[in-house]
Amino acid sequence: MAVAEEAKGAPSTLRNAFGNVLCFFALLLIGVLAFSIRLFSVIKYESVIHEFDPYFNYRVTQYLTKSGIYDFWNWFDDRTWYPLGRVIGGTVYPGLTLTAGSMWWLLNSLNIPLSVETVCVFTAPIFSANAAWATYLLTKEVKGTGAGLTAAALLAMVPSYISRSVAGSYDNEAVNTSSIFSEGCIRIKFLDCVHYAFSVFCLGRQFHLESCCVDIKHWVSLLCYIKCSIVCSWGGYTFIINLIPMHVLLCIVTGRYSSRLYIAYAPLVVLGTLLAALVPVVGFNAVMTSEHFASFLVFIIIHVVALVYYIRGTLSPKMFKVATTLVLTLGICCNTHCIGGFQSNKRMERAKSNTYASKYIPIIASVSEHQPPTWPSYFMDINVLAFLVPAGIIACFSPLSDASSFVVLYIVTSVYFSGVMVRLMLVLAPAACIMSGIALSEGFDVFTRSIKFQLPKLLENPSSAGDSTSESSTVQNGPKADKHLAAAKSEDITKERNSKKSKRKEKEKEKEVSEKISSKTRREKRLLALPLEASVVAIVLIVLLGSFYVIHCVWAAAEAYSAPSIVLTSYSHDGLHVFDDFREAYSWLRHNTEVDDKLGQPCLPQKSQLGTFSIPWTSNMFLLCLEVLLATLVMILTNFFGWFALEGRDGQYRIDSHATPTMLNSLMYKLSYYRFVETDGKGFDRVRRTEIGKKHFKLTHFEEVFTTHHWMVRIYKLKPPKNRIRGKLKKSKSSSKSSAANTSKTRQNPWN
Amino acid sequence: MAPVPPRSLLPVLLSFLAVSFPFLPLPTARADPAADLVAELEALRAQSPLGVIHLDDRAVSRFLASATSPRPYSLVVFFDAAQLRSKPELHLPQLLSEFGLVSAAFATHHSSDPASLSRVFFCDIEFGESQQSFALFGVSSLPHVRHVGPAARNLKDSEQMQQSDFSRLAESMAEFVEAKTGLPVGPIERPPAISGRQMVLMAAAVLVSAPFLIRRVLLGDTFVHDRKIWMAGAVSVYFFSVSGTMHNIIRKMPLVLTDREDPSRLMFFYQGSGMQLGAEGFAIGSLYTVVGLMLALVTRGLVHVRNPTVQRALILVAMLVSFWAVKKVVYLDNWKTGYSVHAYWPNTDQHRSILSPAQRGQPLEARSCPSRTSFSKACVLDLILRQPLDGLQDDHSVAAVAGEGNDNVAGITT
Repeated sequence: MAVAEEAKGAPSTLRNAFGNVLCFFALLLIGVLAFSIRLFSVIKYESVIHEFDPYFNYRVTQYLTKSGIYDFWNWFDDRTWYPLGRVIGGTVYPGLTLTAGSMWWLLNSLNIPLSVETVCVFTAPIFSANAAWATYLLTKEVKGTGAGLTAAALLAMVPSYISRSVAGSYDNEAVNTSSIFSEGCIRIKFLDCVHYAFSVFCLGRQFHLESCCVDIKHWVSLLCYIKCSIVCSWGGYTFIINLIPMHVLLCIVTGRYSSRLYIAYAPLVVLGTLLAALVPVVGFNAVMTSEHFASFLVFIIIHVVALVYYIRGTLSPKMFKVATTLVLTLGICCNTHCIGGFQSNKRMERAKSNTYASKYIPIIASVSEHQPPTWPSYFMDINVLAFLVPAGIIACFSPLSDASSFVVLYIVTSVYFSGVMVRLMLVLAPAACIMSGIALSEGFDVFTRSIKFQLPKLLENPSSAGDSTSESSTVQNGPKADKHLAAAKSEDITKERNSKKSKRKEKEKEKEVSEKISSKTRREKRLLALPLEASVVAIVLIVLLGSFYVIHCVWAAAEAYSAPSIVLTSYSHDGLHVFDDFREAYSWLRHNTEVDDKLGQPCLPQKSQLGTFSIPWTSNMFLLCLEVLLATLVMILTNFFGWFALEGRDGQYRIDSHATPTMLNSLMYKLSYYRFVETDGKGFDRVRRTEIGKKHFKLTHFEEVFTTHHWMVRIYKLKPPKNRIRGKLKKSKSSSKSSAANTSKTRQNPWN
Repeated sequence: MAPVPPRSLLPVLLSFLAVSFPFLPLPTARADPAADLVAELEALRAQSPLGVIHLDDRAVSRFLASATSPRPYSLVVFFDAAQLRSKPELHLPQLLSEFGLVSAAFATHHSSDPASLSRVFFCDIEFGESQQSFALFGVSSLPHVRHVGPAARNLKDSEQMQQSDFSRLAESMAEFVEAKTGLPVGPIERPPAISGRQMVLMAAAVLVSAPFLIRRVLLGDTFVHDRKIWMAGAVSVYFFSVSGTMHNIIRKMPLVLTDREDPSRLMFFYQGSGMQLGAEGFAIGSLYTVVGLMLALVTRGLVHVRNPTVQRALILVAMLVSFWAVKKVVYLDNWKTGYSVHAYWPNTDQHRSILSPAQRGQPLEARSCPSRTSFSKACVLDLILRQPLDGLQDDHSVAAVAGEGNDNVAGITT
């Protein structure tokens, strides 16, 4: 070690350069890992878009690429949510579609002719690579390169994030996580950079950032762009736009206010709000709803604090005390008079009370991904990271810097929210990765250090220490290199992070403090070692834990999360079954219907994905649909899950002989179970494990035209009016037993 | 008077009666038994602070059963039972106080209008002392609120408030009264949580302690300045979240369940991933947390220890504890969800996914839950009763009951 300390100057520069190159390649590999672990769905199935919501996004993207951005904003889609249609520009978070659209445009202008679908399928994996890199940047700001790389590697394969971003899941959440990250890291990066503009601000000039400082302009615009892109992509942006004011407030309260903080925050609020308001779906909500109030409140506070700091600079200490007392007295008196409660909305209420949603918003409470998770969910979604996070939290508290306090705030809020709703596990996962990255890296740091210091003593061969570390500890070369460099020279011009720092007073003070701390630890470092053999065992254990994580993640990516729900598979004793009924039905429709034929689908509203519309609205829509249906419909399509054993999501409607007459006479029931008894002679519903209540009946107004292979989709044709004569209709060989009862019932029920 | 006047006429008639009563000369009022009753009721109401009249069997027969209908007043009766007040799920004391609030709101709203004030009276009746009246009303379950209209002859015909309306407390009671009597109740004013005197005391305490506090804050000497407090806070938030405390609060899960077959044994763990018990959550939460704490102990604390033997011993303990905790969680997760960690290899068909594709996106969440919206205790019990328990107590690795996923209940007994 002494030798290593001796080697100053050129060798350490070389070593640092080597570390940087290694780090770069590690990042590259992490990106490849993040991309490729998400390709299981493409390999196992094919390159298709998954689920049903992404198809909607895909459709919007197609339109965007065909018609251009302006038509896209003004697009009224008369085919979605027929017969009402949907104003796409005003109701969609455009971030995802715009990103994919511009990626497609870029590729095509480079003469790479990819289809829009391909671009959409691979958007999510690409963005997860971005997310991993952004995690690296953020964590590096907190605890150095080693922690950054570890966290990036963990994030590249965290199951929770994989579940939203496998190839083909073209949904908003996939892109958003990476944006959250970029926001976080650039914010902290920004703190470092803004002191360039300090003089500009301090001299009381106008806020001419653009003209004064290229760097500032760059960061501000990037930051605002990212904020905008978050707002564009997901309703969940509320989390991050409240997290940042909280962090700023925390910094102010803990006395870390600085002009850097001001410049990092104030433009963000102003420009970010302006940009966000440009997105039609947000619009004036950006200033009207209470979920944005936190940022405005902190915006005011930071100005007050800035004013106080300014006045303190101009007044003598005694005068300042008098002024403080005066202002406080007056302020308290005024405040007590005008404390007005401000309007709180549902999201705020939900944040305040964890039982709010389950009580007052039944549609949200009924969706399964909005349930509070039990402990196995954590094991499934973040696996061993759940064990490592506490160590990361403790590491972040010593020493507590601006960056690490941000991360602590992030994990605490996100873990709380994830406890309320499973879906928000997605927000927790990145924070957990950062924390575990820090913890793991610290563990490796301590244990490899112990080995490194003691192995040479043991072997009495000091030169061979540095390079004999295992693969896991190569990750550690980065921070070590940093530390060695810092030890070698105080100028550290070559250090990438510090190169951007100027020699401002306060910055230097801060640096001095940190230097002091780091030099202190360095001095103690010789003593801070653990017994050699224990360290070896501990490293083995940590590596075991890591491999367990990898195995779990690969399994989750391959098995649990890669099935596109438009193609289903099941394994039974006689091998693999593929259910491709949806596409079968849709291609049948494509070949057998005209463009303007109307297609109806009797179903119960299941998801809250209808945006701001609630159940009454949906059922109104459904009724309206039925009206239109009777007038204009040509086909009706039924999703039917009775024949093969897919666990349906339809709750607990009884369809057996004890079911209500309403159910047994409903259109949904009849269209689902029409001729069902012919399959096995008994009409046994395999999903609900019961014989159906009414087996033989005829359809009066509909005619079955197509049923897919596994009976998942059935298509009926509405008979032309002239055929609406009761009793003459079916060629089905259903027994005539029930026909009498059937006729009497059809008289009551005009739909059948 | 006609036996039963047509409904449309009734309010007119009533209001005429009600308006005319206060202005009638006293001797006439004496002569009219109905006016007498009203005066008596008003006197009773004046005795109660919230204006809720306490009825007993005698009062019921006097004001309701024996009074000729149509009466010039209607009564809103809250049915109470002293023996059931201790049952937390009935919320009787709370509902009674809410009922009082409605009564007080009604009184203040109509204080300037004695005519309408004397048309509606709020009463409560207690089961222990007035069992006959309960039988008369045909009330067999609580909580129960009834409106006895002026025309109601048989008390069983009086209108009952819907059970579902109790959830919104005084507001829905007020709506009920408004709907049945046609008189507005007025805004409900809840008493502030802290009374005025307490407020003054608190303000005084704050004022007295303020200089000391401010001094300490300025010196940076409070517990708020202690970083360790915040660290402990952050870790405990983490602990409570990963143990699924939110789930337990929202679903009102009990800490433990008693075994159905052997009531002396307690069940701490519930098999099936959609649900967990309180104790189970905390146990796993502490397993989750302890590993990180051990790692932090080793990397942050142990390195400062100078004695290598102590270091060796402690690191050994830490490693053993961590290893055991991870192993235990993996084992329990396997037991609870049926998922065992195994490597993915394309040809191993026997290790196929246990998830059906419909659950993509919500892995292992709420599978096979009969009810996702309201997982009440009743539902838990129902689940337990529905599931066969044969032999599960001894063998934790019992396979899933055919098709139902893994929602078996089994007890891990201590």
